[in-house]
Amino acid sequence: MSSVTVNQAIVAELYTWRFLKWVLAICVAVVAVFPIWWMFNVVFADPGTPVSINPRLYPTSLSSGLSKIQIILMETPYLRAYFVTIGYALLTILGMLLIGSMAAFEFALFDFPGKRLLFGLVMLSLMVPTVVTIIPTYLLVAELGWLNTMQGLVVPGLASAFGLFLLVQFMRTLPREMIEAARLDGASHFKIYWYIALPLSRNAMVTLAILTFMKTWGNFAWPLIVAPKPEIYTVGQVVGLFNAPFSHQTVDVVMTANLLAVLPPLLFFLIFQRKIVEGIAMSGSKG
Amino acid sequence: MAELEIKSVSKSFGSVGVLSDINLKIASGEFVVFVGPSGCGKSTLLRTITGLETETAGDIFIDGKRVNDVDPAKRGTAMVFQSYALYPHMTVAENMGFGLKMAGEPKAIIRDKVGQAAAILRLEKLLERRPGQLSGGQKQRVAIGRAIVRNPKVFLFDEPLSNLDAELRVQMRAELIDLHRRLNATMIYVTHDQVEAMTLADRIVVLNGGIVQQFGRPLDLYDDPDNRFVAGFIGSPKMNFLDAVVLESGPDHVTLGKIGGSDRSLRLPFRSFDPSIKQVVLGIRPEHARLGESGADSVPVIINFAEELGDVTYLHGKTPGGSPMIIRSDKGRFGGQTDCHVAFDPGGIRLFDNDGRRLRADRN
Amino acid sequence: MNARRHLPHYAMVLPFALLFAAFFLYPIISGFYYSFHDWNAATEARFIGLANYEAVLKSRDFARAMTNLGIYIAITVPLGIAVALALALLVDSFTGFWANFFRSAFFLPVVLPAFLAATIWRWMYAPNFGLVNMVLGWFGMPSVNFLNDTGTMLYALIAVDVWVSAGFNMVILLAGLKNIPQDLYEAARLDGASRLQQVRYVTIPMLAPILFFVVTYGFISALQVFDVPWLLTGSSFTAYGGRRNALLFPVMDMMGRAFGAVRFGEATAYGFILTFVIILFTAVMFGLRAWRTPK
Ligand SMILES: Nc1ncnc2c1ncn2[C@@H]1O[C@H](COP(=O)(O)OP(=O)(O)OP(=O)(O)O)[C@@H](O)[C@H]1O
Ligand SMILES: [Mg+2]
Repeated sequence: MSSVTVNQAIVAELYTWRFLKWVLAICVAVVAVFPIWWMFNVVFADPGTPVSINPRLYPTSLSSGLSKIQIILMETPYLRAYFVTIGYALLTILGMLLIGSMAAFEFALFDFPGKRLLFGLVMLSLMVPTVVTIIPTYLLVAELGWLNTMQGLVVPGLASAFGLFLLVQFMRTLPREMIEAARLDGASHFKIYWYIALPLSRNAMVTLAILTFMKTWGNFAWPLIVAPKPEIYTVGQVVGLFNAPFSHQTVDVVMTANLLAVLPPLLFFLIFQRKIVEGIAMSGSKG
Repeated sequence: MAELEIKSVSKSFGSVGVLSDINLKIASGEFVVFVGPSGCGKSTLLRTITGLETETAGDIFIDGKRVNDVDPAKRGTAMVFQSYALYPHMTVAENMGFGLKMAGEPKAIIRDKVGQAAAILRLEKLLERRPGQLSGGQKQRVAIGRAIVRNPKVFLFDEPLSNLDAELRVQMRAELIDLHRRLNATMIYVTHDQVEAMTLADRIVVLNGGIVQQFGRPLDLYDDPDNRFVAGFIGSPKMNFLDAVVLESGPDHVTLGKIGGSDRSLRLPFRSFDPSIKQVVLGIRPEHARLGESGADSVPVIINFAEELGDVTYLHGKTPGGSPMIIRSDKGRFGGQTDCHVAFDPGGIRLFDNDGRRLRADRN
Repeated sequence: MNARRHLPHYAMVLPFALLFAAFFLYPIISGFYYSFHDWNAATEARFIGLANYEAVLKSRDFARAMTNLGIYIAITVPLGIAVALALALLVDSFTGFWANFFRSAFFLPVVLPAFLAATIWRWMYAPNFGLVNMVLGWFGMPSVNFLNDTGTMLYALIAVDVWVSAGFNMVILLAGLKNIPQDLYEAARLDGASRLQQVRYVTIPMLAPILFFVVTYGFISALQVFDVPWLLTGSSFTAYGGRRNALLFPVMDMMGRAFGAVRFGEATAYGFILTFVIILFTAVMFGLRAWRTPK
């Protein structure tokens, strides 16, 4: 066999592969993106024509979409759910970052009796599935009288083992000499945390904040059981209501509700794409 | 400006002893250098002085005041770290003023003091930069500036120049000497580079294995070492050590034989040599050994190679007994001859017993 | 004096430690206690030994849920990871703009909250006008009632699940792919390995630790699947699991017993049984890994 035919075979394989991979990538991208695109189109289309006639492959009417959004926001409890969820997410993020970074500062940079035991326990809890704690936690929240309250939603999630792990990993890379320099500069323990460790951990904190936002916004099970009163419904629950089998809503209205729910995480993704992807990859490679 | 006294300080990490029974008295305004091989406890001693480590035993006095229980920030010491330890998220000015800010000083005073320190170190143009935008030497100067701003009684430097390249190191050394003269402050400087120690120090502390081997002026350490460790550690190239036996001794002399495994013997003036000592180690610096004619008092040496540095030439060889031997030769080129005879300048000979202790003649 | 020196450390850890104790340790311990009691939160708890565990293990729903779960996991975990790996390789074969573009596109479903993925797909699966059926219609196939036909319900769920999770795992695997030194591929190519052989003999072994994480994590989350099947079926504590419980899963069953039937003791026992299964599986996985990587 001459080397020319071998080369030709390789070149042919190369071209087939090049062509195939584009076809494949585009197909997968369509499958991944289309449902979201379709949802968008359903909202921004004239409600008149039934879907079976016009399958909504592209948006047709901006104004009808806007009016649907307006109706949902004004005439349903959606707006309140929005505020509840934003409050839920923001308070969780702030609390988790503050409490977690304080603890991570100690775990990563100092030694004190009982540290290994406590940290080991927290890391062990990463292995324990939420199913085993969710009901007893609910019962505790009920006992505290926190059902249907913001603190009931937020507080039990603040001591996040995952968040602590992420921050400890990061703070371990802070040089010990810098902490000592601050100590010699007369900074108290808390001030070292506040002026040195905290600002230097900004990257890890931002990553954790974004991941936490995505997770809280998408949390369905916990609000479902702990905040069953309509006044404190989260977006997830309201969307669930719209979608319930006997809600008798038309597809346009339901999709508008869905679209509004997807907007914040989608915006976050578009802005912080890099950080989100890094954060997920990081948690994977450390696991 | 302050006097520092360390009284029988020991330090151990768990069961590992790092410092044992350190006693030092450092005068006000003195520049003292700690030298010693890696891991001998220099940094630990420094960190104990400043309070980052707590001594296991002993006391530390600054200006006569016991500071064992005084917070590191309030001892009146300032430390410059090997890694600079600058705060990367603050500007140079903020870095230098951080200590004052923590002390609650008003902004105007912080600005003034930072400005003064910056002027001393020629950092005025860099005040708004961040550490990431500085060169190594500039970072080092900022770290020193941070120490100056605190106006400490004692400056502590832990190998501050080891991250710099050779040229910058020489330049920074000169700046440090200048700084010391201008501030007239007590400074303690850690290094494991003995050239640095010799050039900077008023007095040197040689540490080994957590024990002070000797504390004295650089040339005293060089000329009159207390033990074999100091003799070998100070000076470059190193002092040569040759085994010898004591043939006989009198009230004013001692005669050594089998020097470096050769059959030569040497009579040295030495007042009241301890007759119970039968074996000694003879120390001789390269510059006190001369190439000479074969003779009764010269030791044969086989030369292996020569280091021709221009101004001097160092010949590396071995005595018949196999001890390495370095000889300094000022003139001529290395002709390639291998068998030589080396004569010792009697004034340059130092004797040590088998445990490395210096054997000194009685003075009177 | 020593305790005084450590005080600031404890002060800083305290908030976390307290919350952790209150909302993790205490629930586990109290849950363990409840699991041996008959309790509905209104009346006094009554000790009944292992009866809760027995009731769960012997119930028809538990058997049903576990069967569903078994099938679901057996398909969704390997399929999900195979898809994720394929996507990662696909993205990795592009460079520059297009690599970013496709990565973002494939990742997009992950951005959606799971509850939204479920609700969108509910409409995609709708029998008359749903897009899936429409596409099937183009190819002349009859309309399928995906979410009401016991034969298809589970597979409909798996499709949603893969759609949601593939991008997540892809990102983790991509990070791993980036860490494989390029010269390994070159060496394999010089040894005459084809593209597929390179994947088989270079990529997969080098990715092993990350694949291990992805599989273990994928299994643990699959075992706790809740949001999507809940929303694809009745979405209420009185109606869930779908027709003939074809989409009944253990966590749904557990939640139903707690908040539908108000039998908290039984529900917590259910949680411990599930945890036991998860720990058992994780242990097996770690054992396998130790066995596969000798020395
Ligand atoms: N926190 C610690 N815990 C245990 N051992 C320590 C600790 N700090 C230092 N040591 C040990 O104490 C000894 C002295 O360390 P030190 O840092 O003082 O040495 P050094 O003289 O500064 O060395 P180098 O020139 O390498 O900086 C070393 O053997 C080191 O391993
Ligand atoms: Mg050191």
